Parts: sequence; structure tokens; C-alpha cells
Amino acid sequence: MTYIENVFVCIAGPILLATFFMGKKYYGVFYFCIAGMGVCLLSAYINTFFARLYDADFISATAQIAPMVEEIMKLMPVLFYLLIFEPKPEKISVAVLIVAISFATFENICYLIENGAAQLSFILVRGFGTGAMHIVCGAIASYGLIYVWQYSWLKISGTFGLLGAAIIFHAIYNLLIAHGSITQYIAYSLPVLTMIIGKVINRIYKSNGVKNGGTANL
Amino acid sequence: MIELLDNFSQLIVTLLATIGAGFLFFKNRGQAYLLLTCYFGTYTLGILYWTLHFYLFNYTPQVFYVSELAWISGSMFLLTLGYALSTPDERKFRHPAIWLVIIFCVPQLILYLSTGDILFNSLISGLAMAIGWNSARGLLYHKKQKHKQKSKEIFHTVVLLIIFLEHCLWTSSCFWVSDTYTNPYFWFDFLFTASLFALLPATKKAVEA
Repeated sequence: MTYIENVFVCIAGPILLATFFMGKKYYGVFYFCIAGMGVCLLSAYINTFFARLYDADFISATAQIAPMVEEIMKLMPVLFYLLIFEPKPEKISVAVLIVAISFATFENICYLIENGAAQLSFILVRGFGTGAMHIVCGAIASYGLIYVWQYSWLKISGTFGLLGAAIIFHAIYNLLIAHGSITQYIAYSLPVLTMIIGKVINRIYKSNGVKNGGTANL
Repeated sequence: MIELLDNFSQLIVTLLATIGAGFLFFKNRGQAYLLLTCYFGTYTLGILYWTLHFYLFNYTPQVFYVSELAWISGSMFLLTLGYALSTPDERKFRHPAIWLVIIFCVPQLILYLSTGDILFNSLISGLAMAIGWNSARGLLYHKKQKHKQKSKEIFHTVVLLIIFLEHCLWTSSCFWVSDTYTNPYFWFDFLFTASLFALLPATKKAVEA
């Protein structure tokens, strides 16, 4: 049994103390860092609750319950930030990615405590597979939120749509892992491949935008 | 077997439609194309998850309906697309025939609520009704205009067809016959797939108009 709340206190403590010394300018970074780990902790409780409620087996819990709970929870601190502080677009992506990174880090720490860190191959897969998957989900949300929060008519459907896309990406990844055999290797490579494809598309989009003068119309 | 064929064909068609809509967005940078790409994209991800689950584990998801969430997101994008393509005059337009959408949808919603999940069915049916309402209003508005915009009429007709076939699909799933070709569900789903693909050229013409 892993006492994740104790792990959380241990990691969040120094960050919280550092917040007071670093000054007001860095409050946001530390807030999202603690929020990311906090929602990871809460997600673990909620996942367990739903798994017990629906009497779910391992596959249902990992491929259906966990993606939905975790992605909704990850979006909560960002939504709070968007609704209360109404930040500039460039600040949104930083907030989303810090939440995603700290979420993935805390999850990895708990995983290491439970399974040990003896096998490097496992750790690499964990880091570049599951860790990267959280970053991809964060990137989907961050790039999308920057765009959709510029248009009032697109805010609700856009946010919900992005949440749906992040959940389904996470669910497909977990589904392939849960199946095992060769499909789990496809899953491990999926986040990094998606990152590369996303980067290429973004580059083409930007170069195309320069050619077109960066105009957007209906 | 038929279910896999149905799912795979829908996956390929929606994936091609996503690529097509994405290409149009890259070329023209229009918001309508972005919304269409998001609609097809979320739909593709939903059907991909559903097909993978069925293919890998031989049964459909049982606890949380992850795919349905993607389809709800897709419906929200389609609703936003319809709203983005409408004019302020069109939005103010009223006609009694628009109520036919509600008359068609509500009895079926009651059937879904009595047989399935209340929250999901209310959401997806509510969204379908809103999309149908918007398109019926748009179709009637453009039919009444002196200078008719045929392309907008085609767009709204395709959207109405999607909503109609979606309801046929949901209703037929409440009366499951068998996992063979004799089940009307699969025929509605094949037609639905074709209507989804028709949305791509229809939107392109409506945007260019």
C-alpha cells in the first residue's frame, strides 16, 4: 500500500515554502505545480471510488474510469484560472503544461514507490510513455484553449470538445496498455509520435500562415 | 463481423473526412473548417476507441461511455458550426415548421430515457435537437429568400439528414434484432457514415457561398 497523501505532503512542502521566498511573480508557477499534484492525489481517490461503485474490473478501471476522472481533474485548476483571472493567451499554455507535468511527475513518483526503480527499461517506458501521454493531453488542451477562449461563442463547446479529445486520447493509450502483448508497445510510442506529428503540423501551419498573411476568416 | 465492418468503414470515412477538413483549414484558415475538423476529429477518436475496445476485448465499453463523450463533443462542434455559418437575420427567423424537429425528437428521447442512461441520452438528444432546430430554421430561411443560396440549403439538408439518421440509429439500437445484415441498425449506420462524408463538400460549398 502506498500512502500517497504522505508522499504529497513530502513533495508539496518544500514547494510551498519556496513559494514564500520566490516572490509574487512566481506564485502562478508554484500554484499550478501544487495544483497538478493535488489533482493527481484526488484523482486516485475518485478513481477508486468509481471503480468500487461500478464494481469495475482492471480493464474498465484503467481504460474507462481513469482517463475520464484524470482529464477532468487536470482541467479543473486551469478552468478556475481562466474563469477567475482571465489570463492572456500565452499564459494559458504555461498553466496547462505545468499542471500536466506535475500530475505526471507525482504519478510517476507513486508508481516508483510501489514498483521500485530497479529496471531502467521499465522506467524509460514509464517516463517516455505515460509521462509523455500526460504532456500530449496537456498540449491538446493548452493549444486548443488558447484558440477557443478568444471567441466567446466557442468557449463552452471548444472547452468541452478539447476535454473530450484529451479523455479519448488518454483512454486509447490506457486501452492499448491494458490489452498487453504487441499493442502496449504501440501505446508506448503513441505519445512521442503524436508529439512529433503535432510539431510538424504546427510548423506547416505557421509557415502557411506567413504565406497567407496570417488571416483568419469564416 | 458486421459490427466490425461497420465500425471500420465509419472509422476510415471519418478519418478521411478529418484529413480533408484539416487540409481545407490549412489552405483557407476558415473557422468553419476548424470546427468541421474538430467535429470529424472527435468523432474519429470516439469510433477509434469503440472499435479498438470491441476488436481487442470482444465487447463494448461497459462502465463509462468514453466514446459517447467524444460524440457529445463532436455534436457541440457541429452545433457551433451551424451557428457560425448562420446570419443574424437567419437567427431571428421563426417558422412553425421548425417545431417538427422537436415533435420528431421528443418521443424518441422518451424512449431512450426509458431504456438507457438518463444523463447521456438527455445530453446527446438535446444537442441533436438544437442542431436540428438550427438547420431546419436555416433551411426554411434560405428557401424563403428571393436570392436563394443553394449551397446553404444543401448544407442544412445534410445536417438534417445526419440528425434524422442518428435518431433512426439510436431507435433501432433499442430494438436490437441480431448481429447480422438483417439488423436495420447496420444499414442506418452505413447511411449515417455516407451522410457524414457528404458534410465535407456541403460545408465547403456553404463557406464559399
